[in-house]
Amino acid sequence: MYPTNVSWDWLCNAARGEQFLREAGWERSAEPPAAEVLQESLQEARLRQGPVPGSGEQGGGLPYPEIGNEEVEEINQLVAPVERFFNEEVDSSKIDREAKIPPETLNGLKELGLFGIMIPEEYGGLGLSNTMYARLAEIISLDGSIAVTLAAHQAIGLKGILIAGNEAQKQKYLPKLASGEHIAAFCLTEPGSGSDAASIQTRAVLSEDGKHFLISGSKIWISNGDMADIMTVFARTEVLVDGVKKDKITAFIVERAFGGVTSGKPEDKLGIRGSNTCEVSYDNVPVPVENVIGEVGGGFKVAMNILNSGRFSMGSSSAGMIKKLIAMTSEYAATRKQFNKSLSEFGMIQEKFALMAINAFVMESMAYLTAGMMDRPGLPDCSLEAAMVKVFSSEGGWICVSEALQILGGLGYTKNYPYERYVRDCRILPIFEGTNEILRMYIALTGMQYAGKILTAKVKEMKKGNIGTVFSMVGKKLKDTFRSSVDLGLTGKDGVVHPSLAESAKKMEQNIYLLGLTVESLLYRYGKTIVDEQLLLKRVADVLINVYAMTAVLSRASRSISIGLRNHDHEVLLANTFCTNAFFKNNYLMTQLQKHSPENDDANIKKIAREVLENRAYVCSHPLERTY
Amino acid sequence: MKCARCLLQLQRLRPAGQSARSAAQYGALPQSPYASHMLHNTQLQVLRRFHGSPARVKNRPVPAEFINEDDKKRDKSLVAHDDLFERVDKESRTKATFNKVVDVFIKADVRRRGHVEFIYAALKKMPEFGVEKDLVVYNKLLDVFPKEVFVPRNFIQRMFNHYPRQQECGVQLLEQMETYGILPNVETKVLLVQIFGEKSHPMRKYQRLMYWFPRFKHTNPFPIPQQLPEDPVDLARFSLTRIANDLDAAVTVYQLPCTDITESGELLTLPHIVGIQGPSQMELLAKHNPSRPVFVEGPFPLWLRKTCVHYYVLRADPLPPEEKVEEPYDPERCLVYPLQLDLDLDRDFGDEESFDVEDLDEGPVFAMCMTSQGDQATLNQWISGLQQNNPILGQVPTLFRLNAGPKELQGVGDTESEHHRKPEQETQREERQPEEEPEVLEEERPRRSHGMKQ
Repeated sequence: MYPTNVSWDWLCNAARGEQFLREAGWERSAEPPAAEVLQESLQEARLRQGPVPGSGEQGGGLPYPEIGNEEVEEINQLVAPVERFFNEEVDSSKIDREAKIPPETLNGLKELGLFGIMIPEEYGGLGLSNTMYARLAEIISLDGSIAVTLAAHQAIGLKGILIAGNEAQKQKYLPKLASGEHIAAFCLTEPGSGSDAASIQTRAVLSEDGKHFLISGSKIWISNGDMADIMTVFARTEVLVDGVKKDKITAFIVERAFGGVTSGKPEDKLGIRGSNTCEVSYDNVPVPVENVIGEVGGGFKVAMNILNSGRFSMGSSSAGMIKKLIAMTSEYAATRKQFNKSLSEFGMIQEKFALMAINAFVMESMAYLTAGMMDRPGLPDCSLEAAMVKVFSSEGGWICVSEALQILGGLGYTKNYPYERYVRDCRILPIFEGTNEILRMYIALTGMQYAGKILTAKVKEMKKGNIGTVFSMVGKKLKDTFRSSVDLGLTGKDGVVHPSLAESAKKMEQNIYLLGLTVESLLYRYGKTIVDEQLLLKRVADVLINVYAMTAVLSRASRSISIGLRNHDHEVLLANTFCTNAFFKNNYLMTQLQKHSPENDDANIKKIAREVLENRAYVCSHPLERTY
Repeated sequence: MKCARCLLQLQRLRPAGQSARSAAQYGALPQSPYASHMLHNTQLQVLRRFHGSPARVKNRPVPAEFINEDDKKRDKSLVAHDDLFERVDKESRTKATFNKVVDVFIKADVRRRGHVEFIYAALKKMPEFGVEKDLVVYNKLLDVFPKEVFVPRNFIQRMFNHYPRQQECGVQLLEQMETYGILPNVETKVLLVQIFGEKSHPMRKYQRLMYWFPRFKHTNPFPIPQQLPEDPVDLARFSLTRIANDLDAAVTVYQLPCTDITESGELLTLPHIVGIQGPSQMELLAKHNPSRPVFVEGPFPLWLRKTCVHYYVLRADPLPPEEKVEEPYDPERCLVYPLQLDLDLDRDFGDEESFDVEDLDEGPVFAMCMTSQGDQATLNQWISGLQQNNPILGQVPTLFRLNAGPKELQGVGDTESEHHRKPEQETQREERQPEEEPEVLEEERPRRSHGMKQ
């Protein structure tokens, strides 16, 4: 069932890249009973892990998450009306033009229950899992404004109550939020504070009778800020820590009805124009003490958890959007004729379609793998994986949307077609829910921290010049050079990957092996000061994202081919193409990470930036200038 | 090769002002080189005109009485051309009069007799006429040389130093341009080609100028404009932004200079006070420990071309090591990623990029100012002006550590500047010359070998 003949020590070296493999189920099971226990527990949960009975030996144990048949039916029943609603009732161009979602559209969404997708049924929500949420997000994303409005409401706005609120708070607020009678917002960002919690200025002061907190301050860029009735607000409170007074962040549930809440003029945005974004100010808003989410002073963790859990759905959203764009543009490419040939016959146009298909496939695979992992019992922490999904899909989405527009050329640039709206809407993806830059830092540093814990002792030995360690290192390196390829046991007789994907799996194994070595050398060279080496961390993050994407597509395609899904050969094709591509990219990135690599021109990049920033302008003389 | 070296030595012999003497020397022994050139120049009609024998002087037309007067003097001495310039009124020495003198010389004699002496004299007089930085005037002066006469005609001429006096004079002219930082233009080149030919020494000098000048034009990353602002407030603003070199820093004029008559009838002059302070300096000052004093120090000089201005700083002593506090790491600071890794590994020696230099902590500078009157009362006014944006200054003891005010300094500078500057420049030049020598020789060598090959 699981490969048992491999040494997995290397993987521990390979940063936390190992963990998602393990979570994806590709782990050597040291003790089979444990695996069985895990399997039973998984079967108890909605997801079935492990072998599908009767699907053959090869790849039978593929761990790509699955949902039960009843659930498939349930989701299909749910998806159909939503899809119909979005196709027939939603006028996206009007929403974009008028910068407002009409009330009847909002009512339609409420009737469909889309305001409480993940709220448990006992509070009046649909009670769907992360996987099902991701499925619905595919359709909701067809209109960016609605998607953002709904996400601000339930992915972050009411998430605090859902994951950290107590029973009374849930009873009080969730039913009305689930029905859409109340709309939620998440208020964290301030003029002087993005991801820097230390610069939050909004303050909550306990009133004299000790029953209320008085909140004062202002928050900016609050989605749904104008129409939200319930807000999750983060404010600074004074807390006694070990007898010393300290300022700590606390999360509050603030109702607009408490009074003192004012919202500013809606921002005029590039995209997602129908969603409402504005500044919200609080002037001594009295909030009862029982409205504190979690503990007083525990708001930082709450904020982090909310943000971490909200990101995974962007993968399926982007995939849904790209799938729709493929359908629309291929129609055009097939009918438009130039030089007596249809556009679809031109190689450069074909390339764009292949790109879109691969991207959609990878995003989908990553999103549902992550969602499946999140649905496992015990609330596993998948924030790293979710961040990787977010970074990959927001950037891939941007490229695909722009290529789709390119296929139509000038037509795509006009407002007669929806492409320019997609391009504008899509631009927000790399920015919100944590910019991609800061998420890359998170991805890379989480990996480094994990690898560092394991490797510190070894690196220290090496630095001491311990002959034994050095010799064993040299020996290992020599052995590696003689061995033709790295074998981590993904393929072969006991492998978990289908033979038609064996090549790609080998490539991934090589990547992971090299990543292990690279991370080790980075730790050797930089130690804890790696935090300041953002250019290196960016590459580490990119490699990790690619490896995770490879994991997802291999796992998904193996499953598809093993259980004989329709068009599984196409999936294999996509998976192999993506893996080849990612393999080269990874190799290039990791070559850059080597010391004195000619490809690495970080020093130059930094110097250029420094000179430009010193002048705060473009430095070069104009080419038409002369000195004599 | 010898010729080239000779030329160089001649150039070195004549630092400044004795061109007349050297001209006289050349004038004293003109016969022998002239005679030798005459031999092979006889067949050239054009040249004959120039090298006409002294006997033909009497046939010379007499165009203007101005020249007639000049003629009499020239018989006696060869310093006559200096005199030509001297005759112009001290007050009316301008570009126009200078040009007039040159025109007079050109028109005086179609043979341009004594043009070398004339050019030397003119070069010497240029600063007096205020045209030492005028390219057009240099070109006009170059135009005084007769054309095509000194162009070598055959390889022997080319090999030896053809018309050394004239070539040297041309080089001298270009050298003066170099001294004043004037870049020759195409017209200069055309003139040089017409006068001395493509491969003459002046032409080489021109090429060298054209090679280096453009390359050195922008060597100063902080250029000073040719014309400094006249207004002291503007000048202070310019100097302060120049010292601070901080794009965020804001210049504040605390007081404009003005003269008032008080009720008692006394004349009251208020000095200008211009200060500069950046936001980071404000931040530093806000964090300053109020129990430690801040100092107002100055005046410190700042030279901008030939003007000296003085500035004052507000600074504090560096923090003693025991008072330095590092901001503690707050794990609940960044919402997305850990700002510090929990690792017990430091940067490897091989990747340590900081240099091991002796880092001397100088203490923070909080603000700077410039004023025309550096007494404590005036500077106090500045400090109270600063206090508006830096309330902490109200609590911090401020000590004034002022040197002798710039007033006398500037007074001395004003009157003596002319005298002072001259020797200074000269000493500079003297210092520079020995340094340049090997360089020039280096430069010469490839050229000479090049010439030999031809």
